[in-house]
Amino acid sequence: MDMINPTVVDLSRFQFALTALYHFMFVPLTLGLTFMLAAMETVYVVTGRKIYKDMAMFWGKLFGINFALGVATGITMEFEFGTNWSMYSRFFGDMFGTPLAIEGLMAFFMESTFVGLMFFGWDRLSKQGHLAVTYLVALGSNLSALWILIANAGMNVPHGSHFDPETMRLQFDGFVKLIFSPDAQAKFVHTSVAGYISAALLVMGVSAFYLLRGQHRQFAARSFRMAALFGIISTVAVITLGDVLGREDYMEQPTKIAAIEGLWHTSKPPYEPWILAALPDDAKQENHFEIGVPFVLTPLIAHDFNTPIIGMHELEDAAGPRIESGITAVAALHRYQETHQQADLDLFKAHEADLGFGFLATRHAPNQDVAAIPAENLQSVIAQTKPDILPNVFVTFWSFRLMVFLALYFFALFAISAYLSLKNKLERNTLILKACMWSIPLPILATEFGWITAEAGRQPWTVFNILPTFMSASSHSTSYMVFSLAGFALLYSIFIAAELYLMFKFARLGPDSHDTAHGTEDYTAQYAVAGTSHASGH
Amino acid sequence: MYLLRMAGLAAVLVVSLLFAVFVGDQGPWYFAWVVGTIMIILISGAGAILLDAQQEGKIGSSSETEL
Repeated sequence: MDMINPTVVDLSRFQFALTALYHFMFVPLTLGLTFMLAAMETVYVVTGRKIYKDMAMFWGKLFGINFALGVATGITMEFEFGTNWSMYSRFFGDMFGTPLAIEGLMAFFMESTFVGLMFFGWDRLSKQGHLAVTYLVALGSNLSALWILIANAGMNVPHGSHFDPETMRLQFDGFVKLIFSPDAQAKFVHTSVAGYISAALLVMGVSAFYLLRGQHRQFAARSFRMAALFGIISTVAVITLGDVLGREDYMEQPTKIAAIEGLWHTSKPPYEPWILAALPDDAKQENHFEIGVPFVLTPLIAHDFNTPIIGMHELEDAAGPRIESGITAVAALHRYQETHQQADLDLFKAHEADLGFGFLATRHAPNQDVAAIPAENLQSVIAQTKPDILPNVFVTFWSFRLMVFLALYFFALFAISAYLSLKNKLERNTLILKACMWSIPLPILATEFGWITAEAGRQPWTVFNILPTFMSASSHSTSYMVFSLAGFALLYSIFIAAELYLMFKFARLGPDSHDTAHGTEDYTAQYAVAGTSHASGH
Repeated sequence: MYLLRMAGLAAVLVVSLLFAVFVGDQGPWYFAWVVGTIMIILISGAGAILLDAQQEGKIGSSSETEL
């Protein structure tokens, strides 16, 4: 095996983080806007009022821009697993490849097929037929996310797999277990509904822009109200599912939860505060200052008042015996690969549960070979490996908090906006309208922080407790990685610039100028039933 | 024709119930997503229809002059 180059691993991680975060600037809007379009079109089909068709067509145009760029940035990521993460793909490909293949063949094809009908089928399909197509696009885009998140859940808790010492890979043996794993369920619903919030705030923000300018007032008022109601329920759902995900992490990934909470020592229930703000110091393994709310941490994490939450120091101590056992497992596995002796296989089986911890010790072993660790240095290698089980606490702690603070802000903003809209008092509250307008990018930012929490918090593993990240990367040269990273950064920045340019352009143009024949005429005299004399011109 | 339509609707009902029982049992959060998304769409759509009714003076005192 090639020696692992930490610079290449770091560059591979940075490149994947960059492409994933760029890609996920587009995804939430796709997930949410499709269902918002379905809601608008449903009202059109039920009431027959033309204004709702215009709404579906106008917001559909913004969706189309976003969809095209989202697809372009997403496809490269699947290739990245093969080019930059070939060791990961070999080890985990059986598990990871299956949901990704289903995503491509089922959800993405479904979404892509019907999206064409949705855009070009307004005059070719019946009202009900077109509505069905819009729902299928919404379902397809969310099913696409479902399969990706099932694959990601497998990395966090690899349900339905076992390690095969003959092939040196995780073998997939439980399709249903993987699909219905609690982590996959919670992650999908949390992510999908976060997309609903992003879409709702985009629609609210652009509508607020029109209302502030006194343009397209009837169109904007309806779009705003639908988005505000869509957003407030989605925010409640996203917070609920966030709690479910936190509970899953508490059960399955205690290091992630301890890092999220900046908890260096095991908590003392029930007083233990939930830390609102702190400066975690990864090197010194302590927080420099803390501002917390007493009595909140234990019920928040454990859902009771008595259970201590294990701290990072104690988790490090508990990892010591597992690292020692893992070193035995890896050494036995390597011997078995060469000799195929039953005794080596039996020894490996006895320590198999700690295999990942043995892999983790590899980089502290002489020549990255745990079998070459002298007995007198074993404890030293274990001591060096222990801190490696922790993620970057500063990043995990703050990305989580920024996501949570933003979610609470969205809850307040949607609640006030929905109230004002229901009372028809929007236009006199310009501050709220301005807040909606300037908040358009925030849900996307919150989703990015969510992904940073999830992925940075899973470190140092690509497959939790089984495959360390530093063993997952391909053995490229540093210059190759720098070149491809620069290329991706440049290309994706162009995509973002194109998205922003087109979004701003079409949002500024508004619905009248390009989608309807109203011209300067507004909807005040209508929102009339399509087919009446007023609407028949469309 | 009427019987055929009834049979079709009955089949949809049976499939929906089976889906609800299986997914509700195996994947409660997936089920919650299906039900929740439908609910979000309906409430959001109802909000828009309410605005139409408010402006037509059927509900409340609001008029189309104020939004």
